[in-house]
Order: sequence, then structure tokens, then C-alpha cells
Amino acid sequence: MPIPELWAMDFMRRAFLAGLIMGAVCPLIGTFLVLRRQSLIGDGLGHLAFAGVAAGALAGVNGVLSAAAACIAGALAIEAVRRKLPEAADMVLAVFFYSGMGLAAVFLSLNRAGGFSLSGLLFGSLLTVGPEDLWLIGALALAIVLFIALFYRPLQYLAFDEVCAQVAGLPVGKLNLLLAFLTALTVALSMRIVGLLLVAAMLVLPVAAALQTAKSFAATLKQSVAYGLAAVSLGLTVSYYTDLAPGGSIVLTGGLFFALSFVLNRMRRKGRTVEQRCSVCGEEVKEERG
Amino acid sequence: MDKIINVENLGFDYGEGWVFHDLSLYIEAGDFVAVVGANGAGKSTLLKLLAGILAPARGRILFYGRPLSEFKEWERVGYVPQNPARQQKGFPISVEEVVALGLLSPQRLRGPLTAAEGRQVAACLDQFGLRELAGRRLGELSGGQQQRAFLARAMVKKPSILLLDEPASGVDARAKAALYQLLRQVNEDGVTIVMVSHDLELAAQAARHALCLDHGICFWGPAVSALTHHHRHGTFL
Repeated sequence: MPIPELWAMDFMRRAFLAGLIMGAVCPLIGTFLVLRRQSLIGDGLGHLAFAGVAAGALAGVNGVLSAAAACIAGALAIEAVRRKLPEAADMVLAVFFYSGMGLAAVFLSLNRAGGFSLSGLLFGSLLTVGPEDLWLIGALALAIVLFIALFYRPLQYLAFDEVCAQVAGLPVGKLNLLLAFLTALTVALSMRIVGLLLVAAMLVLPVAAALQTAKSFAATLKQSVAYGLAAVSLGLTVSYYTDLAPGGSIVLTGGLFFALSFVLNRMRRKGRTVEQRCSVCGEEVKEERG
Repeated sequence: MDKIINVENLGFDYGEGWVFHDLSLYIEAGDFVAVVGANGAGKSTLLKLLAGILAPARGRILFYGRPLSEFKEWERVGYVPQNPARQQKGFPISVEEVVALGLLSPQRLRGPLTAAEGRQVAACLDQFGLRELAGRRLGELSGGQQQRAFLARAMVKKPSILLLDEPASGVDARAKAALYQLLRQVNEDGVTIVMVSHDLELAAQAARHALCLDHGICFWGPAVSALTHHHRHGTFL
């Protein structure tokens, strides 16, 4: 069987691999973030990373290191403020988002020598992923998968009911910090390789699509990973044959999956809801047929 | 009877004056205490202090003779907050997953559910009449069914103390009666219950003792006496 044209080239194979890793790992961590009402954390941290890269260029420090430092510091600060203002998690993110943008703008205006590409950081360059980038993303993915595999249930408890998790004696603070740290690392290390747009979108869009249909937490996690992988595969293939930007194509495919999932779910539910009486407590409940 | 909960000179304020100032009482093993009082009387605050969510501004709470700050055996305590389902209306979680969360503890943190734990969850689903609803998304259920799921989550570890904050809120009258019946059964099985309620009439049918709060204790005694007192004098609520 002949190898499809787009798989015959090294750069496309690497682009697919990097994309698929991000397509699986981002929704994995994104499920916990979205359900904690932190959907925009990818963007918030990304703009802090911009500020980090801009500061690094100004100070002559490696951009990846300065971005990672800014992201990690920002994530830990966001987490600390969120714990004090749990009902305003979205506002806390917005504060850090705009502060990051402001800092980046100030550092850029101070830097006359240049030294990094803003559009490269924003939109990434999936087609220029090198072997060493793959190793880096692979190691990051392994750390995230291990973390989720080990602490899947306590993280689920934190997302669902942080107060009761605390009453049960779970190490809420430590787990929150670990999640924030891994999110920061994901954004900082991946945005240089695949672009902030792709990382931030993959943290949210596949999860948003899965939330339309999943009946359980486990199903949400599995479906969001499936949507992520499908968005990367389809988006990258379309971008190859139509010569469109790969990051943009993947993100738009993810958006399309959400729209389809939303519409199909509404249509399905409309025709299936019936009212029934609970056999134990006697209350009326809306139930889906089948 | 063993005094398993001791409250000594407890005081708490949210920065706007004392909610209560010098509260002292003890609760014996196997008791079922309804904490009643008007809105803002400090009922939920007392429960949050007992659950360790809030820290006392003065005085102390002891569980099994140990101050709460040193108490480590939280698997012996079940807690159901007020309106938990309303806070997480769209959350994608099945009833079975909700109940399984109750098995987590500092000692049991990592990895998936074991087969034995799965059986424990199944038994608890049966006990609370949730077997048929196990795979359903929590948000699809009625208020009464959701409350039973949260009760099952609190009970799956077989705690000896159960703290409930308005368990019947958002539940219709018929389901309320079924819920109180269930709580009586849990209490008869030996679990000590402390339940916040704004409905003394209903709470008195289930509870053995009533603690009536109005920024301090205004009645502490048998629930039936509290009800009689309330009918005669119209106080407490």
C-alpha cells in the first residue's frame, strides 16, 4: 500500500506527531481547567510568556527559559489569587491576561534590537518542528500523562467540589499547584513549537465539544482527547492540501467539531426528553428515552 | 455515651461582629442533632467550623477528644454542603463517579478504583436507592435524587459522624419525607448526625435533639421539646 503523499515527507511526519501529541495532551489537562472555569488560562499564561520572551530578549536571556519562568510564576500567582477569590476565577485570569499583554508591550517598546518573532510565538510553525522539539514535547506529554494517571480522581474531586475535597483531607493546595505548574510548562514549552493559538485552543475546544455529549467525567476526558486527535489529523491534512496555515486549520476544525456536537446534541435531546416519576422518592424528573 | 464532639467556648466572626461568641456544647455518639435558627443565626457557620472549613476565632472544637487542628481521621467524618448540585449544575459527572469520590482520602489518593472499592460503591448505591441511576449524569436528576447521591458520597466510607447542611433544600415535600426517613435509618445504624435545617417541624421528626441558635444557644435539648417550645412561644425561627 503506498504511503500517502503527506506522510512521505519528514517535516510532515514530525508536524503530525507534534500535533497529535498536543491534540491528546492539551485536552487531557484542559478538561480539569475548563471544569474549574479556567478556560482562558492558556491565553492568560501565553501572554505572560510573551512578556517573559520579550523580557528575555531585552536582558539577553534564552527566550524559552524566560517564558517558562514567567509562565510558572504567573500560574502560581493565578492559583494563589484564585484560592482567595474562588467565585471570580475568570476575573483573576483576565487581570493576569491584560497585565501580561501590558508587560509584553512595555518590554517590546524598550527593546530596539529585536531578537524574536511575535507572530512565530502566536501562530507557531508546526511544519518546522525539529527532532529535538519532538523529544521536548514527548517528555512534557509523558509528565502530564503520568500526573493525570496518578491523580485523576483527586483532580476530579477538586474540579467538582474543592471544599468537600478539603474536608476529606486531600492535599488540595499541593494538587492545585502541581496542576498550575504543569499547565504553565505546557504553554511555555509548546507555544514556541506549535504556537500559543494552538496550545490555548487545544486546551479548550475539544473539551467544549465533549461536554455537549458526555454523561460522565471519564467519558468527557476520553471524548475530548478523541476530538483533539481528530481536529489535529483533519486540520493538518486540510492545511496540507489547501496550503492554509496549519495551526489555524486545526483550531478551526476544533471549533467546527464543537458546533457540530452542540447542534447534534440539541437535536437529539429535543426528541428524547420525557417526564417520569422516580420510583424511590416520587419526584418528577426529566428523563431521556433509550 | 461517649462525647465524640466537644465545642468549647467557640467564637467566630466574619469581620462584622461575632456570629457567636462563647458557644459550648457536646454531642454524644449516636445522637441526631438538628441545628435550627433564623437566617444568619450562625447554623451553617457552626457546621463549617465542625467540618474544618472555617477556623474558630476563639475557643476550640474536639473530635474524639482531639482538637480539630490535630484531628487526622477525616475518613470518620462525612460532610454534605448546602445545595452542592446547584453549584455544579452542568458538571459532567455520573452518579457512580460522585459516590466513588467519597472514598478518596490522604491515604487513598493515587490510581484508579480497585475492585473492592468498586463493590463498596455498588453497595452504597444500593443502600441509597441509586443503583438504576448509577450511569446517569448528576445534572439530569431531580433535587431529591441529587441529594441522595451526595449523601451516598458522604456515607460510602462508612463514617461515624455525618455533617449535613440543609440536606432538604431544593427537594419537594414527598422526597423530603423520604430523605428524612433515610437519615433516620443511617442514624439507627449508629452514625452520629449533625444537621442544619431551617425547618424545625420536619427536622424534629427525624432528630433526637435540637440546637436552636440565635448568635448563641437559645435552646438545646430534645427535638420534641424544642418543637413544643416553638409552638407555644413562636421563638427560634
